[in-house]
Amino acid sequence: MATTSAGPVTRDRAAAARPSVPSCHGDAGGEVVRDGRPVVALAGSPNVGKSSLFNAVTGARRTVGNWAGTSVEVGTGAWRAGVLDVAVVDLPGAYSLDPLSPDEELTRDLLVRADPAERPDLVVVVVSATDLARTLYLAAQVLEHPLRVVLAMTMGDVAARRGIRVDTDALAAALGVPVVAVDPRRGTVTGLAEVVRTALAARQPVAAPPADAPAAAAGSPEVVTGDAFDDEELAAADRRFAVVARAVAAATHRSGTARTDWSDRVDRVATHPVAGPVVFLAVMWAVFQLTTRVAAPVQDALDGLLSGPVSGGLRAVLGAVGLGGSWVEGLLVDGLVAGVGMLLTFVPLMAIMFCLLAILEDSGYLARAAVVTDRLMRAVGLPGRAFLPLVVGFGCNVPAVSATRVLPNARQRLLTVLLVPFTSCSARLTVYVLVSSAFFGKHAGDVVFGMYVLSIVLIIGAGLLLRSTLLRAMGTEDLVLDLPRYQLPMPRLLAAVTWMRLSAFLRTAGGIIVATVVLVWALSAVQVTSGRDAEPVQGSAYGQLATAAAPVFSPAGFGDWHATGALLVGFVAKEAVVSSWAQTYATQEPGDLHRPGGLGASLRADFERSSGGHVTPAVLAFLVFLLGYTPCVATLAAQRREIGRRWTMIGVGLQFALAWTVAVAVFQVGRLIP
Amino acid sequence: MTLASAPLGVPVLLGHADLPPGRRLRLAELGLRAGATVTVLRRTAGGGRIVGVGDARVAVARRVLLTVPAAPVEPGPRPGPQG
Repeated sequence: MATTSAGPVTRDRAAAARPSVPSCHGDAGGEVVRDGRPVVALAGSPNVGKSSLFNAVTGARRTVGNWAGTSVEVGTGAWRAGVLDVAVVDLPGAYSLDPLSPDEELTRDLLVRADPAERPDLVVVVVSATDLARTLYLAAQVLEHPLRVVLAMTMGDVAARRGIRVDTDALAAALGVPVVAVDPRRGTVTGLAEVVRTALAARQPVAAPPADAPAAAAGSPEVVTGDAFDDEELAAADRRFAVVARAVAAATHRSGTARTDWSDRVDRVATHPVAGPVVFLAVMWAVFQLTTRVAAPVQDALDGLLSGPVSGGLRAVLGAVGLGGSWVEGLLVDGLVAGVGMLLTFVPLMAIMFCLLAILEDSGYLARAAVVTDRLMRAVGLPGRAFLPLVVGFGCNVPAVSATRVLPNARQRLLTVLLVPFTSCSARLTVYVLVSSAFFGKHAGDVVFGMYVLSIVLIIGAGLLLRSTLLRAMGTEDLVLDLPRYQLPMPRLLAAVTWMRLSAFLRTAGGIIVATVVLVWALSAVQVTSGRDAEPVQGSAYGQLATAAAPVFSPAGFGDWHATGALLVGFVAKEAVVSSWAQTYATQEPGDLHRPGGLGASLRADFERSSGGHVTPAVLAFLVFLLGYTPCVATLAAQRREIGRRWTMIGVGLQFALAWTVAVAVFQVGRLIP
Repeated sequence: MTLASAPLGVPVLLGHADLPPGRRLRLAELGLRAGATVTVLRRTAGGGRIVGVGDARVAVARRVLLTVPAAPVEPGPRPGPQG
């Protein structure tokens, strides 16, 4: 057993070479900035209350982001532990140091694979009093390595209600490490600060491995991964289980017998083969309604405020200083204010979404939803809980991409993020309705319904395509899922988590959204031809770009600059497609689509021309393309935050290729039908 | 008998799961290991089961249940299912 020193806690690591494996002391995004503070890592099994503890000790001083070079989310923050300032890292939940997912792998790497000088100065292993035997396994494994270790025991109150009392002193004696009872959901963590401060002051590792615990490979980074086990490792695991069993026996006192409690009674319905899916659909319906309908009035009010009083006031001010009607006014009002306005309209939507996610996670229902939908989602190689972001996507893709955070596995998150854009969001619905009403009359409803069916087909098709190509290595594991007990979500924690995720979204996505809206304004404002075009907008850079791109869509029957221009604008936001048409056709509003000379008539004339008379298949092809290609720049920004630039660009390419291919197929096959 | 065919509400003793070592260890980490006593509590959609491991609850897919041998802990009258 290794007992080497972890070194003084304020050692200078400035000269340390960049390690080949992750460390807690980098200076890139998602890592703890190296500033001399000791680094404390929080580790623990899923559902033990580790993130609640992280929130409790860091308060508002924290950030959440992907660990550099990975797509695994890690929270980092500052903790005033008594008189000592420490940096805290909230490691991904892990049942052990034998990873079966990239998230667990990162935890393993940061704790025992990184260069010893780059490992955390202290590890707080969080265990649950209600489930001590299972949650201690990770602690037993961590104790085999030369790390300072403190155990933080949560859920003592819940255990007490179930007749379980854990003697922390006896547990500490059995394992040879300090054990502190905490209640992070109620903010009771002060005892932990003192123990952590004391442990950090020690030059030698606090942890002394329990007698007969398996020896770690001292000084060696080799730790078993996944299925690379042999009999020796399994025997070592058995010895750890024995250590844990003895510690539990020494520290746990039970009064009475376990009985069915309210959590089990709720589960009789929530996981029932018939009632469970009904409950799940009801919950999803509620989530969908709340993220769209409740947010909509607030979004409209914000939009009205920015496009009305704010824009009007700014125009008046600019007019007063002689800049009325100038490019400066256009840039500020139509570019900057419009861009910021678009970003702000997402705030209520995202806040509601993040809050609902936190409620579902914190209450314990999300795990049940995963059980109920597991079989369905495995058709595309995803676990059941991927259903949630995909359902949310039918309201808006932006929060849906962020909702993929409910997936514990980074590869599953990646696949789900790539599939979310194929869910038909409500913004696309406005275009479906306009176009269907203009072209299909009483069958408009059937066409709109067909678009939703096609959306589901595209999700399945793209999922299978990705699973058989770019994500071939992604395993499909049968469901084995720990179900946390139900609990009432704590408002303080919900608010903290919602704000943390919302602010992270605004920081990452805000710049991209505003910059793109300004760019589109600039393209529309710059005239590149001398007015020979029949319509003024066609002479702008935007119009010329649309004209240049139009031939790409000729095989799909809508190779016209109006349609292409609308798709270019739709890249920014699908809500703008209709207004773009109104602008390019020089009409004010859609109004009566069947009025001679109105928008509907203009659209019909152009589709008639571009499709060679095959209007119906061309319009259907246009709708199909609209469904399949990039939803909006805000979704792209959210994707970039979740999966990085490279995968986002791969996603854009996939969406375009799939949308174009299906659109062309629809038109080419459709025009053969008399 | 395997966990897939274990009666509901009856404590059963587990044998070694017929799974790759890594997956077997994960089951063990969740409390489903050889020598442990567990109780199958409920059926779920898709043929899975909710298994009671002490005070914890674990949802397990049918294909995994089929790999885990199980035997009743004690003979005699069986209590009714919990769900």
